[in-house]
Amino acid sequence: MGYALVLVRSASLNLEAFARATGTHPDLVRRLVALGTLDADRDAAGELWFAPSQVAVMARVQRLRAGFGLNYAAVGLVTDLLDRIAVLEAALREARRPGR
Amino acid sequence: MPGGPRADRRDFYEILGVPRTATQDDIQRAYRKLARQHHPDVNKDPGAEDRFKEISEAYDVLSDPQTRRRYDAFGPDFRQVPEDVDPEAFRRSRAGAGAAGAGQARGPGGFGGFGTGQGEDLGGINIEDLLGGIFGGRGFGPIRGADQETELELTVEEAFQGGHRSVTLEGPDGRRTLEVRIPAGVTSGQRIRLAGQGGRGSEGAPNGDLYFVVRIAPHPRYRVDGRDLYVDLPLAPWEAALGTSVAVETPRGEMNVKVPAGTSTGKRLRLRHHGLPHPRGGAGHLYAEVRIVVPAKLTDDERRLFKELAEVSSFDPRRR
Repeated sequence: MGYALVLVRSASLNLEAFARATGTHPDLVRRLVALGTLDADRDAAGELWFAPSQVAVMARVQRLRAGFGLNYAAVGLVTDLLDRIAVLEAALREARRPGR
Repeated sequence: MPGGPRADRRDFYEILGVPRTATQDDIQRAYRKLARQHHPDVNKDPGAEDRFKEISEAYDVLSDPQTRRRYDAFGPDFRQVPEDVDPEAFRRSRAGAGAAGAGQARGPGGFGGFGTGQGEDLGGINIEDLLGGIFGGRGFGPIRGADQETELELTVEEAFQGGHRSVTLEGPDGRRTLEVRIPAGVTSGQRIRLAGQGGRGSEGAPNGDLYFVVRIAPHPRYRVDGRDLYVDLPLAPWEAALGTSVAVETPRGEMNVKVPAGTSTGKRLRLRHHGLPHPRGGAGHLYAEVRIVVPAKLTDDERRLFKELAEVSSFDPRRR
């Protein structure tokens, strides 16, 4: 079994495109940006732009909300904690590395 | 026995780790605890997603007192038993019919592929409905699958050469074997991504990615630090004192190393860029670390010569 090569797209998504890509409502996306759960840039015209990596972040938000019945503020806390754990685990791996 | 539950389908109570007499509260508590442990966003192990779905399925059935009663009465095929069947009559007919009773209810389609990948159906319910219930069916729409992470242990040689490695994982469709391309010069802690091989997306959304976190296995000869390699270089006292040229094993094969005269234990001889390669940039170095070794037993000649040396030499390694 092989695996697909991934093209790294650097193109940002605007609010509409992001909502479509994640199957969510633009209002919900705006709310999550306001809660700081999603990262977005705002251009001069005030429009929100999302890095493609935020699609995966949104999916995680949806899964956590669906899996645990969390509200969106709590999801924000959980995703922050999970990210911090990931950083700590990476540091731990680094520290455990054989060698000097 | 032919009519009993199949071994590959675990009992829902067993899955949640509760006795059949558990209260609804016990069931909910067990589910919440297990869900927190195995949720694919909390547990990045590739097996966690299947376990989570199994737990969710068990909870789905046991949390509703009515479906729980039917599950208790009719077993794993309860969904195929019509609503008005009397449990007692069912048990009697089942005991009489034996294998035929178990086989008749299973139709085509249905549950193929859930977790085990053994082509079993689960009483006519559709896997997508069920997964939708877990991740997609509450107004969430299609959701991309979670990323997964697992460790990949490589030998120094594999990290040096790169290449391909077959890795077998327990996945949503049973065991699957993945061909992983290992880039030459990969180091401990780096992640190799297999796009689309992570958790399954719901309702046609793309799958997550699978990451292999590389760990370089301890090696009998090489110690690894980042891309640098360290090897021991044992020398006889006279080799270290007089200087010599010795063969050192490197991942590229044997290399001749010039040992300068007057080399002591602890000195590192660097073989530039003979460590692990770097895909973009300079390779690491290989360091041969000198360790002076004396013969455990001296021959008469050696003893005589060492004594002679001790008499004529004024060298004192402890003098400051």
